[in-house]
Amino acid sequence: MNRKSKFCLVMWGMLLALQLVADAQTAQGAGQDSKGATVDVKVDNFSFSPATITIAAGTTVKWTNRDDIPHTIVNDDQKFASKALDTDESYSYTFTKPGTYPYFCSIHPKMTGKVIVQ
Amino acid sequence: MSESDRRTLALAGAKDVIQYDHNHDGIDRRGFLKCMAWAGAGAYCVMQAGVMKSFALGGLGGHNKEELKSELSFVQISDSHVGFSKPANPDVVATLQAAIDKINALPAAPEFLLHTGDISHLSKANEFDTVDQLLKSAKVKDAFFVPGEHDVLNDDGKQYRERYGKNTQGSGWYSFDKSGVHFIGLVNVMNLKAGGLGSLGNEQLEWMEDDVKHLSKSTPIIVFAHIPLWSVYPEWGWGTEDSARALGYLKNFGSVTVLNGHIHQIMQKVEGNVTFHTAMSTAFPQPKPGTAPSPGPMKVPDNELRTVLGITDVNFVQGKHALAVTDQTLA
Repeated sequence: MNRKSKFCLVMWGMLLALQLVADAQTAQGAGQDSKGATVDVKVDNFSFSPATITIAAGTTVKWTNRDDIPHTIVNDDQKFASKALDTDESYSYTFTKPGTYPYFCSIHPKMTGKVIVQ
Repeated sequence: MSESDRRTLALAGAKDVIQYDHNHDGIDRRGFLKCMAWAGAGAYCVMQAGVMKSFALGGLGGHNKEELKSELSFVQISDSHVGFSKPANPDVVATLQAAIDKINALPAAPEFLLHTGDISHLSKANEFDTVDQLLKSAKVKDAFFVPGEHDVLNDDGKQYRERYGKNTQGSGWYSFDKSGVHFIGLVNVMNLKAGGLGSLGNEQLEWMEDDVKHLSKSTPIIVFAHIPLWSVYPEWGWGTEDSARALGYLKNFGSVTVLNGHIHQIMQKVEGNVTFHTAMSTAFPQPKPGTAPSPGPMKVPDNELRTVLGITDVNFVQGKHALAVTDQTLA
């Protein structure tokens, strides 16, 4: 292989590697992930985004409040509940058992979200 | 009232006389609401002998006490949110102090102050301490409270009840009487359910039914609670899911006034024998229903902030049905 071909191969290899890393990160954002990872949920404008996420058992969900008003994360079935989070405060919970976990903000109960654990 | 009396009163400068008395109870609701619409600009309205009289707040000095007399007057403030510090209002302590200054400048000192909740922003001890400290300078003989959802964070309202819940039951409900008026303080910010609205709960409702059972139907009733007891805007949680039951216990009373907070703006409604009124916040305004993606703190130009914050002054004249409810902005 001449130098030019080798160079192209290396470049393609790097691009491929970068793409795989990017894919992995996107997958992480979408919630499809392997155990031990953390998925972020943004709390802003009286809503959770993404409102529904699907994760593997063993994944940790981290909610961060970006709103200018405090919010809480409370599971409908009382399995987890955060204290009141002011702006920029976070709450994390690791989901170990498969199931559907609806939650809401106990201060503004119209705000609802769902974590599906597979 | 005779036609000549009407003309005399009109000439004497009384701004409104009864023109519509459909319920035959001496209350001209259109006049009442018209007066309350002026109140945003600073009107002081009083019911006297069935006649709605209004006085511009600036010109009250020109009237003698007899003209402004009422048997009971109190002031409502709401949503002080001490602890909040964001662009919508970086100094909620200053605006709460301005509200207290307005109270102290009223022509006659109100007998007591009613705080309809969200006293603090994060239920922190130092936030409650600050409010208590500021209220000491209010020229009122007493103060009554109901909690907002911001006052019961993290501890199910334990701290709120220790500070403001003496002589209350359950999560902090109670009633008391002043000058023949029966006041009922309700708590509708506990045990909220996902996707739900404010909630009173069975235990509190049963207590209320019992509380009003033996009252004479001519007793004026004032109910106060944080979240509106009528459906202002359910999409934003601005309503109470079981308030119909509470209002049902009051349907045979001649005069019922409901005072709420939570929405940080004035909304009023008259429905049969019930007048509903929500107060401005002393901290920050919130958008009108449906005019913004969410009901959060609304930033207005700095020089306009105090025009959207304020206090509510309530006057009652013995023997008359409706209470005179007027709002004053801080600027």
